[in-house]
Amino acid sequence: MLHLSDISLVLILLSVLMALGSSRIQELIRIMAFQGVLVSLVPFLLERVHTASQLDILFLLLFIGIKGVVMPGLLWFASQRVSAKMELEPIIGYHASILTGLVMMVIAAFISHKMQVASEGLHPLLLPAAFTTIAAGLFLLVARHKALTQATGYLILENGIYLAGSVLAREAHTQFVVEFGILLDILVGIMVMGIIVHRISRSFDDADTMFLQELKG
Amino acid sequence: MLELIFIIPALTGILTFFLPRALGRMTITGLGVLHLGFTGIICFQGLPALWPDYFQTTPEGNLVLLVTSFLYLMVAFYTVSYMAETEMHNEPVFSACLLLFLAAMGMAAVTDHIIVLWIAIEATTLMSAPLIFLHRSKEALEATWKYVLICSVGIALALLGVFFTLMAIKSSDSNTSMTFQNLLKNATGVEPIWLKAGFIFTLIGYGTKMGLAPMHTWLPDAHSEAPSPVSALLSGALLNCAFLGILKTHGLLTSAGIQWYSSQLLVWFGLFSILIAAVFMMQQDNYKRLLAYSSIENMGVIAFGIGIGGLAAYGALLHLIHHALLKSSLFLSSGNMLLGFGSKKIRETGRMPRYMPRTFTAFMSGFAGISGFPPFGIFLSEMLIVFGALQQQAYLQTAVFLIGLALVFAGAAKAVIRISFGNFTGELLVPEKWRMVIPIYLLIATSVLLTIYLPQGIHEAISMAVKYQGVALTMGGYIHG
Repeated sequence: MLHLSDISLVLILLSVLMALGSSRIQELIRIMAFQGVLVSLVPFLLERVHTASQLDILFLLLFIGIKGVVMPGLLWFASQRVSAKMELEPIIGYHASILTGLVMMVIAAFISHKMQVASEGLHPLLLPAAFTTIAAGLFLLVARHKALTQATGYLILENGIYLAGSVLAREAHTQFVVEFGILLDILVGIMVMGIIVHRISRSFDDADTMFLQELKG
Repeated sequence: MLELIFIIPALTGILTFFLPRALGRMTITGLGVLHLGFTGIICFQGLPALWPDYFQTTPEGNLVLLVTSFLYLMVAFYTVSYMAETEMHNEPVFSACLLLFLAAMGMAAVTDHIIVLWIAIEATTLMSAPLIFLHRSKEALEATWKYVLICSVGIALALLGVFFTLMAIKSSDSNTSMTFQNLLKNATGVEPIWLKAGFIFTLIGYGTKMGLAPMHTWLPDAHSEAPSPVSALLSGALLNCAFLGILKTHGLLTSAGIQWYSSQLLVWFGLFSILIAAVFMMQQDNYKRLLAYSSIENMGVIAFGIGIGGLAAYGALLHLIHHALLKSSLFLSSGNMLLGFGSKKIRETGRMPRYMPRTFTAFMSGFAGISGFPPFGIFLSEMLIVFGALQQQAYLQTAVFLIGLALVFAGAAKAVIRISFGNFTGELLVPEKWRMVIPIYLLIATSVLLTIYLPQGIHEAISMAVKYQGVALTMGGYIHG
């Protein structure tokens, strides 16, 4: 039987591969927005869908709004002001990146399999998807040198952690206030990053972190 | 109303965005006085919280709050004079962010909720980023970008660690509040694997923020490019807040009976930080970076002491207090030096006794203190840590620890002598002023005072914070004087 949650998790895995293979920054931001919506949906689909109160739905919409619209919107806004929109010479090439993504999935599945012994009753795809997303976010942070791509990598990493955290929602441990606090932090973080990206592109004519290598030792 | 300790600075901070410059300067000092008074009430009288599920005083939180509040007041006094001497691009933003930064640190100190603590620590990163970027040079831009990105990613990993920790603890009651004290009280079982994974990610995450090697790379850049009062706050107050997260998670592992795991990690991360700092201090040509590496070293000392436990853990918390006081005094001294010499390069400084005798006195005392000479508190705290380590028969670790400290001293002494007595031929740009020296003297004097006489309240707070980790007290009320 195919559930919506299965489809969402598979789509998240797919979006990770697409993110690793995309060379245009704006395309990357679009993929990330798509992923953000899916990631907000997963905890709801897994646990709350049958017992959803109005508050649940309100917060779901709020999270989708922030993860799927506001945060990508901020990055999009920043990308409009940056001259170069392509990552021309990534540190690790696109084909190699996609291949790395596939390897990450295998390793994530292996690790989750090992760890699930400890907590049974999880959705079998949840932890692999979370770990792959986290690894892909970290990978984008080190394998690309445009500042905006790195900021997107950070958001993908956060998406993965959010997904891992939704394992918790199963235990009804989390409270909305706290979840909202986390999201607010990340939102402000993206705003700060956007401002700095803007500054970098003004100072160096391009938001490329290759220019940021003065401070050493 | 415990929460007022961060609500008031936060609201004032937002208000300060719209205030004129002169009023903004008055606000940051005025609020410092208020904050210290309020902190005194919280620490020595106690104050109930409005939302006890989220906020609650803890002995270690009170210590950090006390240190942060006192440092902030001194730094605020200094900053007002510093602002008069330097050109600031957007002063309302600076004043506002300074207050918001104070609010975030206060929030980290008064919460015992595992996720709210994370939220507060992440907020400190975001609020302090604009402070580092104050001078708007290309170097400052680079430092800010590295700071925001490395710390955000690090702290994101800490969030993963928090989730793992929560997953490890099985609770019968799903509505229990997630405070560190409550988590294990209502636990029906603990999964050691998840708890260990949780601690690793927490250590890497908050360790990034605290400046433990090898995750320290943002720290020298941020501390050297930030204006000196901000460096003083970053080093003296911010690093402690991140340390709180590690200390509390370590407490969880201790209660679960697997503290050997977290202790080993803390000890070796601590030693590695000391050694890395020693290597980079040897060949350092920038005195603010030198001080930044010294912060990494001292954070290593604290992690080492907590990892050893017992007497050494007591020493580590004592070290935290004295390091905050002395290191912020050194950074403020370096602010005077930067104003006077106009350069951060060690070779472009010198002849301090002649050109700036008052700053020289402060700088030398601070250096003597941070190197562990009596009558400064670091002498006591490092001695307690060594005794504690020997008590636990950690001979190899103690040997590495002592070698590391000796190397750090050698590297720092070479540089400090160059800075103080080197050949400076230029003209002093800004002569030193009394009002920019007095806060430094006050910080150093407080360290001396606390060495001679440790108030009972602070002693109890340290003991409780240590006992909280399940370590039996090995000393009475008088380990000092």
